[in-house]
Amino acid sequence: MSFALILNLVWHVGTLALIALGLAIVFGKLRILNMAHGEFVMIGAYSPVITSSMGLPGWLQLPVCLLTVGLVALAVERTVVCRLYGRMFDSLLATWGISILLREAVELIFGRGYQSVSLPIPGTVQIFGTSYPAYRIAIIGCIALGFAILAWWNSRSMVATRIKAMVENPGLAQAVGINTGRLSAWAFVFGCCTAGLAGLALAPTIRVEPMMGLDYLIKSFFALVVGGLGTLEGLGLGAGIIAGTQSLVGAALNQTYGYLAVLSLSILFLWLKPDGIHSALR
Amino acid sequence: MTLLFEIKDLTGGYSGTNVVFDVSAKIDRGGILGVFGRNGVGKSTLARLANGGLPPSGGQILLDGDRIEELPAFMRRELGIGFMPQESLVFDNLSVRENLYIGTIGESPGLYFDRFPVLARRLDQIAGAMSGGERKILSFVRSMIEDTRLVILDEPSEGVQSENINLMATCLKERAAKGAGIMIFEQNLGFLASVADHFLGLDAGRAVYSEPSSNSSETEIRAILAL
Repeated sequence: MSFALILNLVWHVGTLALIALGLAIVFGKLRILNMAHGEFVMIGAYSPVITSSMGLPGWLQLPVCLLTVGLVALAVERTVVCRLYGRMFDSLLATWGISILLREAVELIFGRGYQSVSLPIPGTVQIFGTSYPAYRIAIIGCIALGFAILAWWNSRSMVATRIKAMVENPGLAQAVGINTGRLSAWAFVFGCCTAGLAGLALAPTIRVEPMMGLDYLIKSFFALVVGGLGTLEGLGLGAGIIAGTQSLVGAALNQTYGYLAVLSLSILFLWLKPDGIHSALR
Repeated sequence: MTLLFEIKDLTGGYSGTNVVFDVSAKIDRGGILGVFGRNGVGKSTLARLANGGLPPSGGQILLDGDRIEELPAFMRRELGIGFMPQESLVFDNLSVRENLYIGTIGESPGLYFDRFPVLARRLDQIAGAMSGGERKILSFVRSMIEDTRLVILDEPSEGVQSENINLMATCLKERAAKGAGIMIFEQNLGFLASVADHFLGLDAGRAVYSEPSSNSSETEIRAILAL
């Protein structure tokens, strides 16, 4: 196995883990089946398109991405999702509608065609005798750092506990001083922003178009099914297995077989181990 | 003693249907108000109106002279009103430790662990694995250690062993002696009589009895409960 293949694997696992992290918060913690999660990846991927169409400098891509995704997510949460906590099936239908709305809105503004995004960091670097795109190395580093900070923060802060408490018993959560409206809105926006950041990271390496989100939604649901909900370890495992299977089988045979392998694996897990490998659900 | 908490002509209920009508009451710093009444007369509704779990449809609620009836429960908690509900009274999916420390704490639970050793033994188990009486104790201790100036307790003794009810009474009297106000809703008249310094009787959502304990007669109270 060449070293470039391993780096590709790490790239796919890392970006999928970032998308699945948001879904793990919104679906795993808030119990909202967010069918529009992939659309936040898509909106994030359009942020370089936004900055270049407005003639803004490249370094503004990150703030524009967070601002756009964050504001759309906040609007979605405050108008629709905030009424749907504790109603998981209704949340599926409503967010499915929102996903269509967001796709159509982006299509209306930017058209249906593919957008190409140029690499912010061009060139390659040499690692163990293999040359690999410098941009992907930088993003892998950022994602690893981000997850390390998140794991450290998660072990020290009560926020995850408070979210769990709020979802289980909103009345008691209010009575112990939790501002449930604000906490759920922030958790939802945070979850959508991780998807948007992954979209921004992926944008130069894929074809950016309004329909691109669906694939990421499905893969991140599969990652959660396989890895299990509620722990960062399970999230990493799930993303690793799903992205790993797809890129290894895809490299050995072709992308169609890679996708087939992921589907078969997820069906097996849903059938035989529906809680996933590393679930914290009790 | 100085006035801490006051409700004036409080009316309210669930989605437009009022259950509690024109109830008024006062609690001093260090005072313990015992609210009694049969099942279904509006005790839990009044408790939730006072804590903010339900919005009132009329009347006023004052904490240290400030109107708070428009504030939601989490803001009243920030101002210092703690609450132990009758139902769904702990977070079943959280550990005992997480249940105790989820709000802001005013004192360490050490003393309470000595009194209720079951909590200390089960700190890292989930609360959902506890018996009904143990959950009452957990919720009770949580409401005692929070940094509140008024604690509202809805049926704390229900399903609790009698020696632990006696310990609850000791805790309540100590908490009041340190300056907190207590509003306690109870069916257990013996427990209520051992702690309350003022009685409020409810019937059909209205206050039908309000006397200091020194002036209360058990026969009158029993008559209201047996109406």
